[in-house]
Amino acid sequence: MATATTAPASRPSPVGGSPGTKRRRSLLQRRQTRTAWLLALPFLLLFAAFTVGPVFASLVMSFTDMRSTDVRTPFAVDLAGIDNYTALFQDPLFRKVALNTAIFVAVGVPLTMVLALAAAVGLNRITRLRAFFRLGFYLPVVTSIVAVAVVWRFLLQPDTGPINQLLGVVGIDGPDWLGEPSLALPSVIAMATWRNLGTLMVIFLAGLQTVPRELLEAAEVDGAGRWQRFRHVTLPLLRPVLLFGAVITGIGYLQFFEESFVMTNGGPLNATRSVAYYTYDQFSFGNYGYASAASYVLFVAIVVLTAIQFRVLRPKT
Amino acid sequence: MSRRPIITATALAAATALALTACGRDSDSGSGGDGGDGNAAPSADISDGPATGTIEVWAMGTEGELLGDFLADFEEANPDATVEVTPVPWEGAHDRIATAIAAGETPDVSLIGTTWMGEFAATGGLEATPTDVFAEDDFFPGPWASTVVDGTSYGVPWYVETRALFYRTDLAESAGLEPPASWDDLKAFAQGLQGAGAQQGIYLQPGQAGSWQTFMPFAWQNDATLTDGDAYTLDSPEMTEALEYYMSYFSEGLSQDTVLQPGALEQMFADGAIGSFISGPWHIGLVRGAGATDNFDVVPLPGKDDAPGTSFVGGGNLAVFTDSDNKDGAWKLVQYLTESQVQQSWYETATGLPSRPDAWEGGPLTEDPLVAVFGEQLEQTEAPPAVPTWEQVATVIDGNVEAAVRGTIPAADAVADMQSQASSIGTGLQ
Repeated sequence: MATATTAPASRPSPVGGSPGTKRRRSLLQRRQTRTAWLLALPFLLLFAAFTVGPVFASLVMSFTDMRSTDVRTPFAVDLAGIDNYTALFQDPLFRKVALNTAIFVAVGVPLTMVLALAAAVGLNRITRLRAFFRLGFYLPVVTSIVAVAVVWRFLLQPDTGPINQLLGVVGIDGPDWLGEPSLALPSVIAMATWRNLGTLMVIFLAGLQTVPRELLEAAEVDGAGRWQRFRHVTLPLLRPVLLFGAVITGIGYLQFFEESFVMTNGGPLNATRSVAYYTYDQFSFGNYGYASAASYVLFVAIVVLTAIQFRVLRPKT
Repeated sequence: MSRRPIITATALAAATALALTACGRDSDSGSGGDGGDGNAAPSADISDGPATGTIEVWAMGTEGELLGDFLADFEEANPDATVEVTPVPWEGAHDRIATAIAAGETPDVSLIGTTWMGEFAATGGLEATPTDVFAEDDFFPGPWASTVVDGTSYGVPWYVETRALFYRTDLAESAGLEPPASWDDLKAFAQGLQGAGAQQGIYLQPGQAGSWQTFMPFAWQNDATLTDGDAYTLDSPEMTEALEYYMSYFSEGLSQDTVLQPGALEQMFADGAIGSFISGPWHIGLVRGAGATDNFDVVPLPGKDDAPGTSFVGGGNLAVFTDSDNKDGAWKLVQYLTESQVQQSWYETATGLPSRPDAWEGGPLTEDPLVAVFGEQLEQTEAPPAVPTWEQVATVIDGNVEAAVRGTIPAADAVADMQSQASSIGTGLQ
C-alpha cells in the first residue's frame, strides 16, 4: 500500500535520524548524565573522604613506621618498606593468632553452613509453628553480641555455670570451658556458630522456597528418593545462595573479634586471640604502621578466601 | 634514609586526616616552636595574681562528673576565670586525647592516666612542668616519677591509688596468724588461711590484662627493675626469683590459675572462700558491700625481708597542653588542685587519694584506719616507667606471667622472653 510505504518516510527515521534530532538527543543525554553525576556527587565525595581515603591512607601507613607519638609531625615519619610485613610474620604471636583465625574459619564456616542448611530444610518442611522456630533461630542475631557473649560466659563458668551443673547431674565433672587453652577456642566457635546460624538460615530458607515444586515432583515421579531429590535437584539450585552465605560467613569469621573480646579477652594464653584482635591491640599500643600492615594481611586473606569460595561454589552453567 | 619519598608517602597518608580535621596543624606547628624535641622546652613562667580567662579541663570517670561543682571555690577566688569541665569516659579517653593532640585542638588541662604519660609527652603535646612552682619533694616519689619522661616532668600527680594486702581477720585468728611482714610470712599466712577453711589462701592474678600490677610489686621488693632509663632491664636474677616465688603460690595450690569474673573476688572474700588478696582502696567499699564488714583488715604489703614492701602506684596526673591558649590559668588550676587542703576535700568528694604526704597527716584521711594504711603504703611504691611503649611491654609481661603460672614455661625462660620482646619493642624514646 502506498500510504504504508510513504508514511514512515514522511517522519524522521528513528534509526537514521537527522543531524538536528541527533544533537538534541545527545544534548538531553549529556544533561541527564550531568544531573546524575551532580546528584551522585555528595555521596561520591563522602565515599572518597570517609571510605576510599582512609583505606588508602592505611595502606600507605602500612609501609611507614608511624607511631602514635608521631601524630603532631605526620610528615616526618620514616618509610619502612616491607619491614612491617616481615616483622609481622616473624612475630610468634602473630603466627599464633593467624592460626587461631584459620581454625576459626575452617571449623566455623562449614559448621555454620551445614547447621543452617539443616535448620532451613527442617523449617521448610514443617508448616506448624514455622514462624516460632524461625524467630528462635534468628533471635541471637538481633540480640547485641555483647549481651550474648556475657550470657555465654556465665553459662560456661567452671563451678557455678549452668552447663557444668547440668553435666554434674549426670555425673560428669565439667571442665573450665573458657579457662583451658585447649577448650577456649572451641567454646568460642560454638558460641559464634550458634549466634550466626540465624542469618544463614533465613537466607537458605528463602533460597529453598524458590526451588520449583514441579522439578521436585518430576524427580519424584522418576523414582528419586528424598535424599536424591535434595542432592540432585535442591542443592544445585541453591548454589548461588550457598555461595553468598559462604562468602559473608567467611568474611565475618575472618574478622572475628567481639566474641573473644567479651568472653575471654583473647586468653587463656592467647588461645582465642584473632588477627583482628591483634590488629586492635597494635593500634591501641600506638603502632599505627604495624597495625595497618596487619589489617592488610587480613584483607588479602579475605580476598583469597572469597576467590576460593567463588571457584568452588560458582553456579554451574 | 632519604626524607623525600617519606614526605610523598606520608603526604598521601595524612592528606585525608588533615582535610578532615581541617586544621593547619603543620603550618602552626611552628608556634609549638621547638616541637621536634619537646623535651628541652623550658617551663613557662606563671604570672602572679588570680587566673583569668577560660580554662578548659578534661577529666575522666567519677572525676569528670564531680570536678565541675568542686571547682566553685576556685572560681570564686579567681572571679575573672571560667572553668569548663568536660567529663570524658575512660574507655575513649586515650584516643580522644591522642586525636586532640594530633589536631592541635586540645583543652588547656587534662587528667592523664599515669601509664599514658610517656606516649603523650613524646608527641610534644604536653608542657613541661614549671618546677619552680611545683616541688618534687612535696609529692610521694612513685607518683612524681610517673610524670617524668626522659628526665623532664610533664605533669603533676593529682590523685593516686596503690595496693595493699586485704585479709580475713577471723580466719587469721583461728589459724593463730599475725599479719605477714616477709615473703616467708606471706607464704605461711596463705597456707594458714587455707588451713582455716579458705579455698584459696591468697588470690593472685594468674594472667591476662593487668596481672603485671600484682606481679611487679614482688619483683620490686626483690630489687628488680623495669628500665635503666634508656632500655628495658627485665632479664635479671631478681626478676626470675620473684617470678618463681609468685609461681609457687599456684604450684602449691594456694591460688587458682583461673581468672575471676568481675564481682567474684569480693563475693568469695566475703564468703571466706578467698583468705586474702592484694588490691586498692576501692575494694574497702566493695568487700563491705559484699557482706564482709568487721571481719577483714588491710595491711601494707610484706617485703622480701620486712614490711612494708614495695607496692604498685597508679593514678592520675594533671597535664597542661602545648596547644593550650591559657597556660597561665591552666597551671594555676593545677596548683590549686594539688594543694594539700584541696586534696583533702577532693578525697571527701571523690575518694581520690592525695598525691602529697602532707595531705595524709591530718583531716579526713586519718579517720578510717583502713584508708590510712594506704597512706603508709604510699611511702613505699614504684610506678611503671613513663615511656611510650609501656602498655605494650606490660602485655608482654602479662602474657609471660600467665604462661609461667600455668606451668607452660619455666620462670627463667619467661623472664628471658619478656626481655627479648621488650628489647625489640624498645622504649620508644629517641
